[in-house]
Amino acid sequence: MSTQIIGKPQDRVDGRLKVTGRAMYSGDRQEENLTYGYLLTSKVAKGLIQAMDTSVAERSPGVAAVYTPFNPLKLYHGLEPPEGATSGETLPPLQDQKILNYGQIIGLVVAESYEQARDAAALVRTQYQAEEPVASWEQGIEHTFTPESVDREKATVKILAEGVDSIDDAIRGSPLVVDVTYTEPIYHHNPMEPHATTAVWHGDRLTIYDATQGVISHRLNVASVLGIDEDMVRVLCPFVGGAFGCKGSMWMFSPLTAAAARALNRPVKTILTREQMFTLVGHRPALIQHLTLGANPDGTLQAVKHDVRSTVSFAKIFVEAAAHRTSRLLYKSPNIQVSHTLVRWNVGGPTFMRAPGCAPGMFSLECAMDELAVRCGIDPVELRTKNDAEVYPGRNVPWSCKNLVECYQLGAEKFGWSKRNSIPGAVQEGDWLVGMGMASALYPAHRNRASAKVRFQADGTAQVSSATQDLGTGTWTVLAMVGADSLGLPIAKIHTELGDSALPSAPTSGGSASVASVTPAIQKAAESAKKKLIQLAIRDRKSPFFGAKIEDVSYRNGELTGAGKSADFGSVLSGIGRSAVEAVEMAAAGEEEEKYAFHSFGAQFCQVKVNRWTGEVRLQRMTSVMDIGTVVNLKTARSQIMGGIVFGIGMALMEGTILEEKTGRYANANFADYLIATNADVPYIDIHFINKPDTIFNPLGARGIGEIGITGTPAAIANAVYNATGRRVREFPILPEKLLPIGANQPMISMSERS
Amino acid sequence: MRPFTYEVPSSIQEATSRGGADAAFIAGGTTIVDLMKLEVMNPSRLVDVNPLPMLGIQMREDGLRIGALEKMSDVAEHPEVVANYPVISEALLQSASAQIRNMASIGGNLLQRTRCGYFRDVFTPCNKREPGTGCSAIDGENRMHAILGTSSSCIATHPSDLAVALVALDASIYIQNGAEERVMNLDDFYLVPGETPDHENQLRPGELITAVRVPRLLWARRSTYLKIRDRESYEFALTSAALALDLNGDTIRDVRIAVGGVGTKPWNLPEVRQALAGKPLKPETFAAAAKLAVNGANPLRHNGFKVDLVQRTIVRALMNLGGLA
Ligand SMILES: Cc1cc2nc3c(=O)[nH]c(=O)nc-3n(C[C@H](O)[C@H](O)[C@H](O)COP(=O)(O)OP(=O)(O)OC[C@H]3O[C@@H](n4cnc5c(N)ncnc54)[C@H](O)[C@@H]3O)c2cc1C
Ligand code: SF4
Repeated sequence: MSTQIIGKPQDRVDGRLKVTGRAMYSGDRQEENLTYGYLLTSKVAKGLIQAMDTSVAERSPGVAAVYTPFNPLKLYHGLEPPEGATSGETLPPLQDQKILNYGQIIGLVVAESYEQARDAAALVRTQYQAEEPVASWEQGIEHTFTPESVDREKATVKILAEGVDSIDDAIRGSPLVVDVTYTEPIYHHNPMEPHATTAVWHGDRLTIYDATQGVISHRLNVASVLGIDEDMVRVLCPFVGGAFGCKGSMWMFSPLTAAAARALNRPVKTILTREQMFTLVGHRPALIQHLTLGANPDGTLQAVKHDVRSTVSFAKIFVEAAAHRTSRLLYKSPNIQVSHTLVRWNVGGPTFMRAPGCAPGMFSLECAMDELAVRCGIDPVELRTKNDAEVYPGRNVPWSCKNLVECYQLGAEKFGWSKRNSIPGAVQEGDWLVGMGMASALYPAHRNRASAKVRFQADGTAQVSSATQDLGTGTWTVLAMVGADSLGLPIAKIHTELGDSALPSAPTSGGSASVASVTPAIQKAAESAKKKLIQLAIRDRKSPFFGAKIEDVSYRNGELTGAGKSADFGSVLSGIGRSAVEAVEMAAAGEEEEKYAFHSFGAQFCQVKVNRWTGEVRLQRMTSVMDIGTVVNLKTARSQIMGGIVFGIGMALMEGTILEEKTGRYANANFADYLIATNADVPYIDIHFINKPDTIFNPLGARGIGEIGITGTPAAIANAVYNATGRRVREFPILPEKLLPIGANQPMISMSERS
Repeated sequence: MRPFTYEVPSSIQEATSRGGADAAFIAGGTTIVDLMKLEVMNPSRLVDVNPLPMLGIQMREDGLRIGALEKMSDVAEHPEVVANYPVISEALLQSASAQIRNMASIGGNLLQRTRCGYFRDVFTPCNKREPGTGCSAIDGENRMHAILGTSSSCIATHPSDLAVALVALDASIYIQNGAEERVMNLDDFYLVPGETPDHENQLRPGELITAVRVPRLLWARRSTYLKIRDRESYEFALTSAALALDLNGDTIRDVRIAVGGVGTKPWNLPEVRQALAGKPLKPETFAAAAKLAVNGANPLRHNGFKVDLVQRTIVRALMNLGGLA
């Protein structure tokens, strides 16, 4: 690994394409003879479709076809995910009249233009036999069950000290107890780019342009729903305009579009509307989390009990592992118990969303830790440092490379934590109450089996290829950087290929695992390609190295040297009349998985102000220190952390999908009513990296970075709000009215008071 | 969106003759196009008023005159507006986004429709959109809805920030109908829903708003618009207050005040004005007067907090403008 490229701030190689509008996203795809699909969706949350009158729509200008359950396209049941606990929609649309959620697909209108399809869709009249949906925690009581597994463990994990019979005994035996419940609404991913599919058939071969986090997995899933062989499908996805998990699974509009294209024998493009993005492509489920912490008066934890209830749909199970991924492992405690139950609602399927499990789980765990710090009268940073876990609880293996205490220290120093006044409401700036808060950040490091190809070309450039994806995160650039680093070439000489299922197989880009998984394969393929290049050079008569011994010729920075000669690979290849030499390699994690635990950590600090009259919370500044192993591209790494923080700001202060109890309809399924942070809501963000390579994890030493930024942010904000006002809001998002109803002894200044 | 024809009149008179129940004017289009896409408004003819002579921002003897086609951004930044009526400038700058303000006109702003989510979703009952179908908000999601001026037919909030500032300043609008022009006080122009929530104002089909007139009020130089919202920018008001203050040392000589986010129309507060006039500039005075703002308030399941919040908004605005904060 050279330090000339890795770790430097590198502009995105695809940046110019993107800002000039020349990057072709899936919805931009133009095809000859193209038609446009527009989805019809259900306006009740539960029941049956009795009838659909499509006659007017069918006569509407430009309409090619209207597919409904009464005029269906044949689709097959989707593949069951390998484990119950992962995502993926399996019920194919239009195969029956049953409605399980508001906004479910009940038809597809195909027309010559998008507008014609949309306007014809508005002319379809549907009659329902509606039933009362399950759309609240109360109604869901009857539909509560325990999942088979949670994050590859049992639904209840107990780690108890010897002689302790139950977690409740351990809690009863603790001198100090914090017992709190936190609730969160449904959250939606809302990437800027909506999902889109363009399906093109050439005979019985299908090419599909889809906004997906996984071209390989998409190919398999689409093929099975269409009932065709995987080899007949090619999925292309060069650019993704944000995904955050909602493009990580195949959703049924994609094979439905392909089926329509097959039936009409014309390419069909379907783009989801923003409203449809709320019901058709997943969400983070709603959660109720109950946390009980038992501690000694000095703050050492004696018991951690974390119980999670999260919602699922009637068609799909997905476990938002909020306790299993957080309280299960973050702190040292002789007694730990995490458990999970699921509640069915009539909503679309939930799915992974940026930092699944960790983001909601860390909100409650880290707020509860703050409450414990207050109870013990200990500084929150000190409390966390005191309870730092050296080994993974219950498994007793160390982490591959953990520097969390260093994150606390550096963060506290950079932020100026020592200036914090621990008395709530003590600091005022004019009309504003000022508070500081902090939280830990946490996300598991994943690495999956991946392949890559490295190819030397006669024109002096090299190609790096893998069927991975760039979600907007900067994968294009990182692959080029690692390719350049491995081959000792400038980045400008590297051509990258990704987002094509025909390339060497790579995993779905999720779990912050792309860089960690794909770069080892590139490094390995680069070494193999160098070997092949040298072999070629000594065997071909036209090569200047002909006849040299293999061990005498070496490759360095694009040049072959040996036997007293040197030549660049381009001239060697052109000299012998070869256009290229290439190697494909696969890389996967090894037995280190048994011996270590792998996580990224961090510490996040923030300062907020809360208006003492009207209760709005505004952020003033934010400091994050991240321990994510090697920083590959400093620029995009910072962007990823910053993006995660902005996500967390929304989660804490304004986001939340409102489900109407009576109708099962989302009341705010659009960007005017579902608020996300604007630039004005985002303060100055100071980001630091520990930057210690985790070479036990992979050769580059780089763990993932896409998700951890969100994990500590919401709790840090909530804790700062407490420090500012003395009010604990345990129900996200923290809206002004939740801070306002003021009892007599609350420090937020009441109407008649004035300091 | 339903099919429509697009017409460009060459004079104000021609425009008003082309208007009608089946037609809609288009200025900046930021409301009308939006609602046509949602099929909430389905005019079969769109009459473009942009070429018409309805421009100009002038400070005159009798006050400020703003042409109906002036853009929100141009009015917000106009030196006479900034100097003489900061409340107007601030209300505009806290409205929508920079992009929308660059497109949207003053006339269109005053005629924008409510943001009630049911009004905007044609698959839900709504008396304002389809009289007689019922109001989904009363028993539905109503956090953003009004607590003042509501009826059992409709509780939708009037969304315009500018209108709140203008009502506080006692502004009027010029309405053109053929060759005939009338001037109407803006507060009187807007109607509360009663039994006919589809009837939002006194504009008759085909009539144009050509200009806004704000009376001269020297002490409006001390005025402000305070908007409380869930995020810092690009969001409608939970509550807002438009306030002008005339001070004589530590005594309040006069006040102009209206509130937004809480009423089915921009909510003028003459009682609060009376309660403050002649009183000492003191927080206790503010709190007592602010209570009068919520006389007759009718809070529902999710918007009850507005009863308290709007009073706090008024007090905060008074504290800030009175230099007590
Ligand atoms: C996302 C979003 C956020 C927004 N946030 C805010 C906010 O925070 N605060 C706020 O106040 N507003 C906000 N708005 C509303 C915005 O200010 C209005 O859409 C805009 O002012 C309308 O002006 P326009 O010229 O585009 O009107 P148009 O859309 O062209 O017209 C609106 C209506 O007025 C009629 N009309 C237009 N001009 C005349 C005229 N001269 N005479 C008679 N009838 C006429 C049209 O027929 C139409 O019915 C927001 C809008 C959007 C889309
Ligand atoms: S509040 Fe008014 S606009 Fe909203 S649903 Fe009720 S009637 Fe319609």
